Amino acid sequence: MIDDDMAFAGRDKAAVVGIGQTAFSRDSGRSVLSLATEASLKAIADAGLTVDDIDGIVRCEQDTVRPYSLAAALGAKNLAYWADTGPGGVAPCMMMGLAMGAVMTGQAKAVLAFRSLNGRSETRLGGGGQRMEAELVGGFGSYDEFYLPYGLQTAGQTFALMARRHMLEYGTTPEQLGAVAMTCREHAQATPHAMMNGRPMSMDDYLASRMISTPLRLFDYCLESDGACAVVITSAERARDLPKPPVLIRAVAGGAPRDQRPGMMFPVVTREDMTELGGRQAGTELWKRAGVGPGEMDIAQIYDCFTISVILQLEAYGFCAKGEGGPMAASGALKRGGSLPINTGGGHLSEGYVHGMNHIVQAVRQLRGEADMQVEGAELCLCTGGPLPVGSSVVFRKAA
Amino acid sequence: MGAHSLLPYAEDRETAGFFEAAAQDRLVYRKCDDCSHALHPPTDHCHHCGGWNTAWHDAKGTGRLHSWTTVTHQIHPDFPAPYTLVVVELDDAPEVRLMGRLDGAPELAPDMPMQVWFERLGDGPVLPQWKPAPVN
Repeated sequence: MIDDDMAFAGRDKAAVVGIGQTAFSRDSGRSVLSLATEASLKAIADAGLTVDDIDGIVRCEQDTVRPYSLAAALGAKNLAYWADTGPGGVAPCMMMGLAMGAVMTGQAKAVLAFRSLNGRSETRLGGGGQRMEAELVGGFGSYDEFYLPYGLQTAGQTFALMARRHMLEYGTTPEQLGAVAMTCREHAQATPHAMMNGRPMSMDDYLASRMISTPLRLFDYCLESDGACAVVITSAERARDLPKPPVLIRAVAGGAPRDQRPGMMFPVVTREDMTELGGRQAGTELWKRAGVGPGEMDIAQIYDCFTISVILQLEAYGFCAKGEGGPMAASGALKRGGSLPINTGGGHLSEGYVHGMNHIVQAVRQLRGEADMQVEGAELCLCTGGPLPVGSSVVFRKAA
Repeated sequence: MGAHSLLPYAEDRETAGFFEAAAQDRLVYRKCDDCSHALHPPTDHCHHCGGWNTAWHDAKGTGRLHSWTTVTHQIHPDFPAPYTLVVVELDDAPEVRLMGRLDGAPELAPDMPMQVWFERLGDGPVLPQWKPAPVN
């Protein structure tokens, strides 16, 4: 057995020192490599470094831009470390762990973490097939043969099945889901680059939006975006000499639910409790590693592929009891001025969907004190990823 | 419901037995013969007791509705909306939940009794499907 008290050696050892992003749009008109290059160059410049300082690159396994392609496009000559993680939205928080590990072990001195996608104009996740030819699906450990031929084909439909269970078991209401959507939309109004900036939304607007997969409506779904985000991670020690206020990676943790089933996303419906996420296991470990708890978070960037995802994660990470996520959202606690402002740039629901990476960028902006909707005095920020089939999480801390 | 283009790959080494049985109008599930735990999605190895003594067992073909969603936004050309996806918990083994698809947007209620039927996808594989059980 592994010693349960084995200390987490990574606390405050690495820092995010540079952030960069492209515009978020419905059609970038550019390649994902071009987008990744722009976001990376901005992050490197923001860090006060040059491309030749970058010797590590980590990425999401779903990204079509490969680390060495990005290094080539950047003209970075010293690439010595690279790694993939995932899946999908789980990746960004796990990237922070990979970068921290690489920096702490001397495998790299400055690591670039990025995500780039034309998620609207080219590769729409959950967009389904335009394939008319008969096609064999599933097998080879995917277990998709039990789902795709039935018509369960998207993340949204999967979260709809989870949302239905949450409603049946805990009485969660459409208005509580709507409160999450409205919170993010409100925060986007204070964020000029957010895709939904200038488009405020009332509860009536939310309730009137068309049903996509009951009980989830259009505005329960995140945006589809073209865009890229990148951040630079180096050691906390080196960070002190760089121009921007360092934002420390206080702790990182991934987590698989106790009742994890094989396969990817769809087998969540077979979990004994399909409203339980790996975020509970990630959170338990994260708070231990960070030495702080959910009550000490000033803000949080919670992975919001759907509104229900936020409610389930509020419960999983211990911000409220099981079943209380809906009432917590409806209480206003998640809004500016509330006890836990979330997704302070608008999140995936209203800022843009860069598969978790814009949440990392937003966390850093807040802790530097340079966010558009700045939460005054924010020192600790939770960032989550996932939330299917596993969870991932980071606590970021403003350096003293 | 008719044939469609997304056919299950029915020759996977761990799941083929499910589709072989379905082709004979039988519903089966994987179960550990040492500790009696059902395993779904099916695996050769039992993660409950650590044994490898797992096999296919016949199910009665009845279950209860655990969750559902009516898909109103069409994704795939062969799956015209609206249709309703159902998640059914087997009466024989509640740890096994299987998918089914109903036409349209029927009135459904949690725990309602469901009955299996077998959908032949043209000359291809057969899918166990579910419908509300007839009221006696």
